[in-house]
Amino acid sequence: MTLLTLEHVGKRYRDGPHERVALREVSLRLEPGELAAVWGRRRSGRSTLLRVAAGIETPDTGFVRFDGRDLADRGEDVLGAGIGYCQKTFRSVEGQAVLDQVMMPLLARGLSPSVAQSRTSDALARVDATRCAALRLSELDGADAVRVALARALALQPRLLVIDEPTKGVDLLARDGILILLRSLADEGVAVLASTGDSTGLSGADRTLALSEGELRGAPTPELAPVVPLRRSVGRYANG
Amino acid sequence: MQSPVNWALLGLVIERPSYAYELAQRFEHAYRGALSLSSISHVYTALGTLTRRSLIEEVPGTRAGRQPKPRYRATAKGVEDYREWLVSQVHEDRRRQRLFVLQLAALTRNPEAALEIIARYEQACLEEAGKIPIPSRDRAPVDAGSDLIARLLSEEHRLAVGSKLSWVEYARREFKALANVRASRR
Repeated sequence: MTLLTLEHVGKRYRDGPHERVALREVSLRLEPGELAAVWGRRRSGRSTLLRVAAGIETPDTGFVRFDGRDLADRGEDVLGAGIGYCQKTFRSVEGQAVLDQVMMPLLARGLSPSVAQSRTSDALARVDATRCAALRLSELDGADAVRVALARALALQPRLLVIDEPTKGVDLLARDGILILLRSLADEGVAVLASTGDSTGLSGADRTLALSEGELRGAPTPELAPVVPLRRSVGRYANG
Repeated sequence: MQSPVNWALLGLVIERPSYAYELAQRFEHAYRGALSLSSISHVYTALGTLTRRSLIEEVPGTRAGRQPKPRYRATAKGVEDYREWLVSQVHEDRRRQRLFVLQLAALTRNPEAALEIIARYEQACLEEAGKIPIPSRDRAPVDAGSDLIARLLSEEHRLAVGSKLSWVEYARREFKALANVRASRR
């Protein structure tokens, strides 16, 4: 069953005296366990696409459905209720410690401290960032900051994970570890929608799309995607 | 020397001295899907060519016995020429890409057709990008050399596709502008 549906989505912004079209008639469907990666240059509309898909912004035209329901009808309960939007920046009001950053959204949703603590530990372990738990945010390198941000989103147990440029600012040799992690989350059944300004971020995706001047190109639905062997995306290149 | 098989065999000999049959096996393992041998005699022919050009030589004493299996090793000239050839491949890639662009430019009188080809080319690039495996970085690799080769190949492939996607973006703008000019003249 389709988890996320964007249908003829349009979005415009006013940019001084000009109007900028960020999304133009964008349609996209995402299934559970599918990893879709959207490539685009700066100002191509890719961040807008992700915010609209996550329900953070509403489209001017068209609609976005998550799990069969229009996001516009769901008010502010979307994030944390099925959709995880991975913010790579941390808010200082939620504390300077990694543990606080991951736990705070859980406590804010009324979970008991012991449950929140347990979920936080599980999420950090899932992204291989247990070692970061006792660190301060300022002590994280680029890759660990992404892992902690992913843990914060995963702690809320989303079915759809949306992440903008997961490998931006990550050391070259640590980058593939982040891509492998996203691939593994999708293999576990989480739908992942990621954007990238760098073509290396497309590898391992079930579906690769390009966004330019607000137009999305590539296979908008899983049926139109090229058929590739299951779990073929991680491993030895020579055997790929 | 033009044959990529000959250069590939020279590379294998540089990596490790081998006899002909062993080279054929290593070739199949290393270049599966990229290059192929017509038969084992292809290796003997190539070794003859490489020897005549003084790029490889027999390891002394390996031709002895009832079933001689001469091993081959690279000469200093072979190592040097191989390096030069590797670098020259940059120009070969450039030549292929240039050919594609020149052929596409033949459609300047029909920008809509060019845009359609560009769209299909972009689609092919996107599909190719998704199929590139993410190389694993094992903490204790059994074969560190082949893991490194896999990572280097993957990175080169991903970056090459990325540059094509960027080019597509530019080419689309150019042909769209051309299409607009033509439409305004009608």
